[in-house]
Amino acid sequence: MSTDQLADLSRVLYSPVTLLLYISAAIVCLYSLTTRVGLATGRSGKVAGANLQPVGLALAWTAVGAHVAHEVVRGLAQSRLPLGNMFEFTSLMALVLAAGGMVYLTIVRKRPELVGFVMLGAAVVVASAMLTYAAPGPLMPILDTWWRSFHVSVIVASAGVFTIGFLFNGLHLLRDTAERGLAEAIGSTPLPAGGAGEASDGPLATMTAEEALAGRVAPDEDHDGTGLPVAAERGAMRAAISPLRLAIGTFLGASTVSWVFVATPTATLGDGLTRALTINLTLVALALIARWFVPFLPQASILDGLAYRTIALAFFGWTFGTIAGAMWAEQSWGRFWGWDPKETAAFLTWIAYAAYLHARATRGTRGRGAGWIGLGAFAVLMFTYYAVNLVFVGLHSYAGLS
Amino acid sequence: MSRTDSAAPPEANPKVRPPRRGGDGPLGFVRDSVVMAWRWLVRMRTALYLLGLLGLETLLATVVPQEPNVGATVDAWRTGEEGPGTLVAGLIDLVGGFDVYGSPAFLALLLLLFLSLTACLIPRIRAWVRLVRHSRPPLTRNAGRQAVVARLTTDRDVAEVHQAAADLLQGKRWRVRTEDAATTNSPPAQVAAEKGLWSREGGSLLFHLSFYVLLAAIVFGQLLSFEGQRAVVEGERFADTPVSYWTYRPGRWWNETSHSGWILDLDQFHVDWVRDPLAPGAGQPTLFRSDVEVTRADGTTETTVIEGNRPLVIDGMKIHQLDWGYAPLVQVEVDGQLVYEDFVTATLTDAGHFRAAIKAPAADPDIGMDVFFYPYAPDNEAGEPVPTGAPFADAPLLLFQLFRGDLQLGRTAQTINELDTSQLDTTGGAWIREGAEVDMGEGVVVRFVELRRWVGFQVSARPQIPYLLLASGLLLAGLWPALYAYRRRLWVVAERHPGDGHTLVTVAGRAFQRPQTFDDEHAGFVERLADRLDASPLDADESSPATSVAAPAGDQGPGATP
Ligand code: HEM
Repeated sequence: MSTDQLADLSRVLYSPVTLLLYISAAIVCLYSLTTRVGLATGRSGKVAGANLQPVGLALAWTAVGAHVAHEVVRGLAQSRLPLGNMFEFTSLMALVLAAGGMVYLTIVRKRPELVGFVMLGAAVVVASAMLTYAAPGPLMPILDTWWRSFHVSVIVASAGVFTIGFLFNGLHLLRDTAERGLAEAIGSTPLPAGGAGEASDGPLATMTAEEALAGRVAPDEDHDGTGLPVAAERGAMRAAISPLRLAIGTFLGASTVSWVFVATPTATLGDGLTRALTINLTLVALALIARWFVPFLPQASILDGLAYRTIALAFFGWTFGTIAGAMWAEQSWGRFWGWDPKETAAFLTWIAYAAYLHARATRGTRGRGAGWIGLGAFAVLMFTYYAVNLVFVGLHSYAGLS
Repeated sequence: MSRTDSAAPPEANPKVRPPRRGGDGPLGFVRDSVVMAWRWLVRMRTALYLLGLLGLETLLATVVPQEPNVGATVDAWRTGEEGPGTLVAGLIDLVGGFDVYGSPAFLALLLLLFLSLTACLIPRIRAWVRLVRHSRPPLTRNAGRQAVVARLTTDRDVAEVHQAAADLLQGKRWRVRTEDAATTNSPPAQVAAEKGLWSREGGSLLFHLSFYVLLAAIVFGQLLSFEGQRAVVEGERFADTPVSYWTYRPGRWWNETSHSGWILDLDQFHVDWVRDPLAPGAGQPTLFRSDVEVTRADGTTETTVIEGNRPLVIDGMKIHQLDWGYAPLVQVEVDGQLVYEDFVTATLTDAGHFRAAIKAPAADPDIGMDVFFYPYAPDNEAGEPVPTGAPFADAPLLLFQLFRGDLQLGRTAQTINELDTSQLDTTGGAWIREGAEVDMGEGVVVRFVELRRWVGFQVSARPQIPYLLLASGLLLAGLWPALYAYRRRLWVVAERHPGDGHTLVTVAGRAFQRPQTFDDEHAGFVERLADRLDASPLDADESSPATSVAAPAGDQGPGATP
């Protein structure tokens, strides 16, 4: 095949093939999550759709395979590693997010029911890479070094793992809010008499709000019944999260990053606004979808643990990658650290995640406090990634002999 | 109790209580203030606030142009030509935002951070040393009530079981303690073991301590490093002496005698681009290479190349190829007298052409020339040159504007490629091709003799790099166990069943972090122990009432060693 054909093939493999596969894997996995817990038909007996999980996982692995194929074909089309521009970085980040999330959830931690969220995240990142699509091409010689490839791949992979941590963190905060809300609902409102559910004389029926809070009531497989009817239980969990506040909060949170597209000097104002709005609304939609799934999630403390583990790994990678970047800078530009926007941004992200790790180790800020700091740290990561590449580099040419 | 992966030291956030009055008068007050400040610094929460402040400062440094990097942009912000306006720029200046990392606020923050770090680390190190020196794995009174429990039965006797368990655990580098039941009131005979106790906290300490090494290496570098820059035209040479650098940035303790005097000859500079305008990446550079010959201080010579990513190391100094441009050789004559002859180091502009200035104070009045160099300006049908922004020198063209008057050399600040035209009058402009000359009238003749290229070299000596690498290595070596090591305990309690002559073995465990990983480790150990003892598992149902809830029994606190 000629390079042109390879380039076309790599593009088709990326979008629509990989993108659609991620989306369908997300849909199937998330649907199977709602059937898995089996609340709908009681705890015994087969549930319709229960065997969809293997289908969803197979789709997810296929999507990862298609994504890998895209990377390989793109590499062949341009005879170099696909690590040269923003499109390629974002694409690799999505791949690490998807593949890393799959390995972690299906092999390491055995929580395949959460794969749907990872697939959803991967679909969004894959789609967002299209905002900066660039056809395959060569690399400036100054950029073509082993140190750089090493540095960039470690940093990009860490960013992918940070994204997994962000997903868990967001789910953790949602679930935590829902659990608090449920505990309050149980504590304050008397139970409906003779509710259609399990026996209502369980220990939780007489719990006070504080006791329920401390005990972290959780109506999924980790916990047998709160005494509330299933539907009421789910309703109470969802009701704890105001959809309006969630939507507005997500919109504002996403805006801390997406305004960068409005400020990008190379894009027109209308174009930038469309992009920013698309990103914000997509994230709002995702947050609302996640809210709907809140009753099916594992306990908040488990999600918190998953977030911590992934962020810790990514933090190590980021530290290592930043050091490798300094080594590359010493080799290529003759100074290992110059506080230029990229270096400053890498340092800022590092500080933000160090704050998360500290918060998690500090009495009083562990749990929700740390969760919020973790969300903020991810906003910092995204902001620095997009802002430094699209806006601030314009102030100061970084990449060349100039 | 929910399972968390990381346990904070219990004393992480003590209240900042005023100390017992140590005395009256000003001295007592000072003493009390110092004690209070210290107690404030020791708090974990303080470290978090300080990190937050460091983050804010760094955010400022990310979004605001920094003077040491882009001085021109900062000037434009200050005058309001760019950026958010003079008012905001004034505010930014007020907090030192244009040079965050050189501002007093940052230095103060750094000082506080390191004070807080020190205040945190001293008690932690003490506690850690005590732990390493004195701690023994605690015994359990009731193994069945631990977080993870498995039971086995075997024919072997109690001593044999304990021996096998101790061997297996020691092989896996656990700290092991075998204890017999001393009295009826003491815990049962058992093997108690612990692992990960030192490495997690020890790793965290190593990680935080590496910041001191990092700081020391940075300070050392400020004092003893050197950096200089110089442009060299093809065919010319450059010697490492203090006067031959164009910019010279020595550390405070850098000594002029530290230059060894090596010589570098630039034979040729190669540069190329993707020339096909339709190819992907058209116009991108594909090659930058300098062919050089170096003569070391000891007289040995070597022919070699310097590329963007391949600096040359001579006598402990690194030579980087940072920059390049075209260097037309220009002669200027006035009335047949040569007043100027030199290679002009023209630098690339954003528009794709190159710019330089020629200053000839030898003429009277002074001659100044504003030079535009176009590497590729082919002729059109009319024989007129058409300048383009292409970088390859296939049809080089020199355009210039001629000035006469007073160059103000030495009186106003001007770089070599800048003319101060305030006391100059233009007398017209012209263009010339390579090898041609143009008569500008009044006896002035300008000649474009030949075209070469120049390369900007940076020479640096950074003796701090090995120490920076050491600090990075310590940092990473500490970070991994700090994040991933986990503290856990195992107990193996064997009891002879009085009735059937079997031995009942309880393998209990508890992890302080990463409970899921520990579950697997525990299961693996149980399997290996069962193998050793030809034991068979007892029904799991009755054996572990508490697999999902960590039930801290009263006797297993760290201080509970009998
Ligand atoms: C100089 C700035 C600092 C940075 C960049 C920093 C960074 C970090 C990082 C990344 C971690 C997570 C790794 C680990 O668990 O060891 C950590 C943990 C920790 N830091 Fe710091 N730190 C700093 C200063 C401090 C200070 C001043 C204190 C004392 C109040 C402190 C106390 C701790 C403690 C107790 C942990 C252990 C947390 C755990 O067990 O998970 N750090 N630090």
